[in-house]
Amino acid sequence: METLNFLMQGFEVATRPENLLVALFGAFVGTIVGLLPGLGPINGVALLLPLAFALGLSPETALILLAAVYLGCEYGGRISAILLNVPGDAAAVMTTLDGYPLARQGKAGIALSLSAVSSFIGSMIATCGVVLFAPILANWAVAFGPAEYFVLMIFAIACLGGMVGDKPVKTLMAALIGLALATVGVDSTTGVYRFTFGSVSLSDGIQFVIVVIGFFSVSEVLLMLEKTHNGQKAVKASGRLLFNFKEFCFTFWTMVRSAVAGFVIGVLPGAGATIASAMTYMTEKRMAGPNGKFGDGDLRGLAAPEAANNASACGSLIPMLTLGVPGSGTTAVMIGALTLYNITPGPLLFEQQPDVVWGLIASLFIGNVILLVMNIPLVGLFARMLSVPNWVLVPAITVISMVGVYAVHSTTFDLVLMIGLGVFGYILRKLDFPLSALILGFVLGELMEDNLRRALSISAGDLNILWGSPISLCLWALTALMLALPGLRWWRSRRAAQLANA
Amino acid sequence: MYVRLFAASWLLFCAVLAVIAWGFQAPFAYDPVGPRAYPLLLLSLMSAGSLWLVIKPGLLEQTLNTRAAIRAVLCVLALLAYALLFEVLGFVISTTLATFALGLLFTGRPLPCAISAVLMGVLLYGLFDYLLDVPLPLGLFEAFVES
Repeated sequence: METLNFLMQGFEVATRPENLLVALFGAFVGTIVGLLPGLGPINGVALLLPLAFALGLSPETALILLAAVYLGCEYGGRISAILLNVPGDAAAVMTTLDGYPLARQGKAGIALSLSAVSSFIGSMIATCGVVLFAPILANWAVAFGPAEYFVLMIFAIACLGGMVGDKPVKTLMAALIGLALATVGVDSTTGVYRFTFGSVSLSDGIQFVIVVIGFFSVSEVLLMLEKTHNGQKAVKASGRLLFNFKEFCFTFWTMVRSAVAGFVIGVLPGAGATIASAMTYMTEKRMAGPNGKFGDGDLRGLAAPEAANNASACGSLIPMLTLGVPGSGTTAVMIGALTLYNITPGPLLFEQQPDVVWGLIASLFIGNVILLVMNIPLVGLFARMLSVPNWVLVPAITVISMVGVYAVHSTTFDLVLMIGLGVFGYILRKLDFPLSALILGFVLGELMEDNLRRALSISAGDLNILWGSPISLCLWALTALMLALPGLRWWRSRRAAQLANA
Repeated sequence: MYVRLFAASWLLFCAVLAVIAWGFQAPFAYDPVGPRAYPLLLLSLMSAGSLWLVIKPGLLEQTLNTRAAIRAVLCVLALLAYALLFEVLGFVISTTLATFALGLLFTGRPLPCAISAVLMGVLLYGLFDYLLDVPLPLGLFEAFVES
């Protein structure tokens, strides 16, 4: 009951005119950013973050804006996936498998509307999950001391390495680089300047906005340079524009199953929407057996990944809100946004800032309805966005990035630093280092060091405190499991290959 | 190959940083850890990771395409010029120049690029400075505007 009261309070916050307006704007921008190939939720959130800050939005309004963008991106990615066979964001890769064949068969209208509804159902189920589980987890997380927090963050980083899969060493390296970047600046406990190279501009540390925009926007601009296409030909949506009741019933349980699975995967730190959509697609394909037309336009193959990626996007808000540990790159950026407002996400957030937490959760419900309503009739308008050529798009992204960074401190140094980080990010991406791990590391960096040092201050330097409690022991065990996972997978695939050869 | 090159240079970089980090010492001990241990821990982990990548870089087919590389360098130079001229020339002029250059790099035709560049310079200035209240440098226009 208490939860319901809080939720009502949240709706009160979320239905304030400025918050509704912001949700509408965020949903619209998010859909556009999501559907443009190459730009994903991280870019969308990164571009709007400095804007929200410069506009002087209140923390809950800013968070609602970012969440709306995040959700909107998950909606938008499917449009280009279906019409162009190009995933608008990474999570929409699976949507192309059945979405594009459907569009080729003249069922683009059906595919678009059905996937919008799948996205809607996915997010709705997951948001209900957030309402149910977030307060429980927050209550439980209050028992965490600095030592447990430190271990939890190690676990989150290990999760990234274990789940992302084929390149664990590179993933962990990326996270470490992020952690190291966070040590730049004056040390908060002792006042010692670290890695500032005598520069005054660095004494404050590297600003979060600069890191995010440098690594994601600037490097994206450089990457887009390689694939200059000028407005691809999209499949024209013709024929029936809306799915019928039979098609809805046919896919309903697929959506529900995938939504639940996506939610669970989203809650795990590190595993994001991409894994969720791939896993649910495979599961549905196996369940359908030989009756399915997966790969040539099965409606279930369209519904499953769409429901799952939206559900996992909502699910990843749980570790962010309750533990202060991000579940995905995008939520890492949102945590950074909260710290800009001097709000430290974590279990106490539920007690100290109920307006922020519940306003955000309520706004997810509202944002979802807005997105559904917006996406079905306006899909034609969004599809037209795909024909914006790169020579307009890229300069526009560049200008917005510059303004965003300039708005923080108004110094040329920051602009140059942003470009430097962008080039570095470009090199890392070319070498296949996952940048979302880097940003996760950067966000966790300061928290991790603070918690480690606080824990060791409590124990007067005795390292035993790090594995002194059952919670931290359990987390260490999970961490070890996550680190062993890639090795195990490698060993199994090798054995399978040997058996196949024998 | 490139991964190996990167990992090796990163290893060197870590070593340099470690030397710098060794000098972090607080005049008074505020806590048992001090400012030095944590960066050194990170650096040693990173060195271990780099070493692994030097030995086992994994499979990554990557060939250097000279034309693409030249374009990337040009793009970085354009961005750098934009950043350095941002305050000097002011938002409107620097944006117009930068968006024009970038537009050309992204295979736009000159005339449409020029038009979109001018529009972006002027319209985005209006959008950010007046509507969204983000202060932007006026640069050369400063003389014409009374403040």
